[in-house]
Amino acid sequence: MLSERELERYKRQILLFGEEGQERLKKSHIFIAGAGGLGSPISLYLAVAGVGTITIVDMDVVDQSNLNRQILHYDRDVAKKKTVSALEKLQAINPDITINAIDATISADNVSKLVGRADGIVDAMDNYPVRYQLNRVALEKKIPFFHGAIRGFYGQATTILPGKTPCLECIFPKAPPKEVFPVVGATPGVIGTVQATEVIKYLTGQGSLLDGRLFIWDGLTSTSEEIAVCRNPSCPACGDPAAAHTKPGKKK
Amino acid sequence: MSVKVRFFARFRELLGTDIITEPQAGTTLSALVLGIAQKNKEGRDAIFDEQGSFREFVILMRNGKRVETSDAGKTAVADGDEIAVFPPVAGG
Repeated sequence: MLSERELERYKRQILLFGEEGQERLKKSHIFIAGAGGLGSPISLYLAVAGVGTITIVDMDVVDQSNLNRQILHYDRDVAKKKTVSALEKLQAINPDITINAIDATISADNVSKLVGRADGIVDAMDNYPVRYQLNRVALEKKIPFFHGAIRGFYGQATTILPGKTPCLECIFPKAPPKEVFPVVGATPGVIGTVQATEVIKYLTGQGSLLDGRLFIWDGLTSTSEEIAVCRNPSCPACGDPAAAHTKPGKKK
Repeated sequence: MSVKVRFFARFRELLGTDIITEPQAGTTLSALVLGIAQKNKEGRDAIFDEQGSFREFVILMRNGKRVETSDAGKTAVADGDEIAVFPPVAGG
C-alpha cells in the first residue's frame, strides 16, 4: 500500500500509470552497475520515481575530472568513495526507498551474487568486458538488461529481453579498443534518462521498449536514429534456442 | 547505380556521412567503404587494419540488416543500397 505521503509525492506520475504502476515501482529492485556518468542520471531518476530498492555498485573514488558529468558527486566529494557519495545523495533525494550502495569491482566471480534477485540490470559501465558479464547474468536470470554507452556527443541504448531480443553479444560481439573517452556531461544525461525511462516503462508495463532496436543519439547534429538489431543464432552468449521468454511489464 | 554510405559516431567525425557513391557493378561492400575511407588516413585506420580488413569491432549494416564484416569482401552492393558503418561506443 502507498502511504499518504507517497500518494502526494508521486501524484504527477500516478496520473500516467495509476497507483498500481506506482506500487509496482515500489516493489521493484533495480541493479545499477556503475555510479559514474550514466549511473548518475539513471540512479537519480529511478530514485525519484520511487523504485523501491536500488542497488548501485562502483569500485572507484570521486576524481576531480569526473565532475563534468557525474552529477551524483559534488566538488566536496572528491576523494570519497563513489558509493558513499551516491548513498548520501540518493537517500537525501528520496528517503522513502532503500538504497544499497556496494563498493565492489564487478567480476565473473561476484556478478551473479551482486545482482541477486533484482528485477532488472542497468548498464552504466564504461567498458565491454564487464558489460558482457552483466549480459550473461541477465540471460541466466532471465531479467532485462538496459544497455547504454556514450562517447563525446554520441550515445547508444537498447533494451535486452532475454529469450526475446538480441543480447549485447549479438549486437556487439567485439569490444572496441580501450581509450580515455572524451565526453560532455549532457551526453550521459541524454542516454541515462533514456535508460531510466526504459526501466520505468518495463516495470509499469507502459509503451514500447527499445527491444530489438538500437537507439543512436548524435548530439553534434541533434539527431537520433534507430537500427533494427537481430539475434545471432550462433551467439556464444544467447544462442541457446531454449532460452526463456521475458515479458515486459509482467512481474513475479 | 547509386549507393548511400552512412557513418556514425567517431567514423562520422572523420569521414562525414550520407555519402552518395556510384560504384561499378560487382563492387563489394569492403571495396566501397575502403574507397571512401581512403580520403582520410585517420578515418581509414579507425575502420580498417593494415591489411585493409575491417577491424573486428566495426558494425556494418546493409539496408538495416547486419552484414558480418568477414563477409563484406564477398558481398556485392546493389543499386539503392544504404550502408551503415559504426563503432560501438564504450563510455559510461
